[in-house]
Amino acid sequence: MRIGFLLWRLSLKRVWPLLAATGLLLAGFQLLRVLIAASVHNAGEFAQIAELLPPFVRALLGPALTSVMSFSGIVCGGYFDLGIVIALVVLNIALATVPASEIETGFADLILARPLRRHWLITRTIALVWFATVVMLLMIQAGTWTGLALFAPSDAAAPSGRQMVALALNLGMLALCWSGVALAFGAAFRRGVAGGTTSLLAFAALLIDYAQQLWPPLERLGWVSPFRYFRPFELVMGNPLPVEHLLILWAVAMTGYIVAYLVISQRDIAR
Amino acid sequence: MEPRTAIPFEPGPLTPPRAERASAVISTRGLTKRYGALTALRGLDLEVQPGEIFGFLGLNGAGKTTAIRLLLDFIRPSAGQAHIFGYDCWSQSLEVRARVGYLPGELGLYLDLTGLETLDFLAGLGRQAVDRRRRQELCDRLELAQSDLRRRLREYSTGMKRKLGIIQAFQTNPPLLILDEPTEGLDPIMQGSFYDLLAEVKRAGATVFMSSHVLSEVERVCDRIALLRKGELVLLATVQESRRLAPRNVRVVFSREVELPEPLPAGYELLEATPRLWRLSVAGSLGPLLEVLQGLPVLDLDVQEARLEDVVLRYYREEET
Repeated sequence: MRIGFLLWRLSLKRVWPLLAATGLLLAGFQLLRVLIAASVHNAGEFAQIAELLPPFVRALLGPALTSVMSFSGIVCGGYFDLGIVIALVVLNIALATVPASEIETGFADLILARPLRRHWLITRTIALVWFATVVMLLMIQAGTWTGLALFAPSDAAAPSGRQMVALALNLGMLALCWSGVALAFGAAFRRGVAGGTTSLLAFAALLIDYAQQLWPPLERLGWVSPFRYFRPFELVMGNPLPVEHLLILWAVAMTGYIVAYLVISQRDIAR
Repeated sequence: MEPRTAIPFEPGPLTPPRAERASAVISTRGLTKRYGALTALRGLDLEVQPGEIFGFLGLNGAGKTTAIRLLLDFIRPSAGQAHIFGYDCWSQSLEVRARVGYLPGELGLYLDLTGLETLDFLAGLGRQAVDRRRRQELCDRLELAQSDLRRRLREYSTGMKRKLGIIQAFQTNPPLLILDEPTEGLDPIMQGSFYDLLAEVKRAGATVFMSSHVLSEVERVCDRIALLRKGELVLLATVQESRRLAPRNVRVVFSREVELPEPLPAGYELLEATPRLWRLSVAGSLGPLLEVLQGLPVLDLDVQEARLEDVVLRYYREEET
């Protein structure tokens, strides 16, 4: 455990500026969202904004349109805004490919020349990715609560705590799912290959998810995309978070982690 | 410069017990590594004895680093066995690595860390606590000041990174040091300090297994050498024995003009002949030469010992052809 902690602490020491910057940006973005939502609410312009949305966005939102185009919906948008989803997924991919980078640069040689098992490279990375994800979600939450406390109009219905926790859980699990994929690739290949392949897969999965929502014949293919199990609009509408969605994302992450453990234990550590 | 405090090397608690030390420190049998059709290392049989400095030679791609990586369980063998201090290098690799100080040929360091952070981190991963005085002494000897240690590695020169690599390998006083091209990037003065350090750990009973391209260095510090060629061991001998494999140059000066003997003894080659001077290449014993010279007016006889370089370069040239 001591060795795992040392490895984790070193990695954290190296990535904390990135985590701090990303976390502050996410929190700041959420503050801004609340401010915008308050401004729109005070002007009573939600219906007009909804009118401006392109037809395909309206189609994607479906019955959630009314919920999303409300003070609560815009505030919750910080949990499913495409930019934020991509930022979290990319952060997870970057962190999950740390072992690949260590092998590539030769730093793993210095680590593994000491009496420690290879699995610590993976275990440390999983701990780092989970920690980073939780911190990012907490920063979004902090931004939301601060924004609500400062800017929320008294007559606006704020999102419930349960709703925000459900959104955070769903978003976090989606990001962690991609960390599993990246870690599995990162245990076998160079960082560029692992990161690039996972990013491409994530992009393809995102497109598949959009496509299957807009074009019914593709619905049968939709299950392959992890984004199918990230349904924030339903949560904004007040529906409960389906546990099976969380389990599926968790299972993908776990499968990736297990593959990574197996690969790292068998492979040659060579640049 | 900071004052040097001579702290004698003391083998740490991981130094194997006496009975364990009696057998070979490193032992390999038929060690083989294949990458598809390419055989990087073929059937390596090797024994490194306690307390010796063992030089591992070969051209680039000869298999030196592959062998080292196999010993440290970084890569897995296609066939064969390897033991260090009697521990299997794969099934008991933690025990092996607890007793080894390793300096890689190419140091992969995080450039955003300071030297001290790097040393502390790597020390923390070992089983043995690092004696701060020992580390300080190593830093002093290699002229890496405290102010240098507080700087980030991106500000380090190649030589400074190498020094840091040497310190991290030596700082726990391991009973076995595996060093891959240890003096690469060090200036001649630091090379001298490093050789002194090697001599010191040898006196204290540690074993050193080092690969090197610098033949003069190997000749100076190593007790025995192994030469790899295309993954195969082609020479395993003491440095003295190795030198004897190359012909010696003999120069004979006469006080008056003499006739050349016909024929020359087997293994002898005449390089230069004037009435008063012969220069010969002699492979093997000098006895027949003394017989030839009997009764001749010899003024001076100069025998030049072959250099290790002459032997090793011969193998290298054979490989090239």
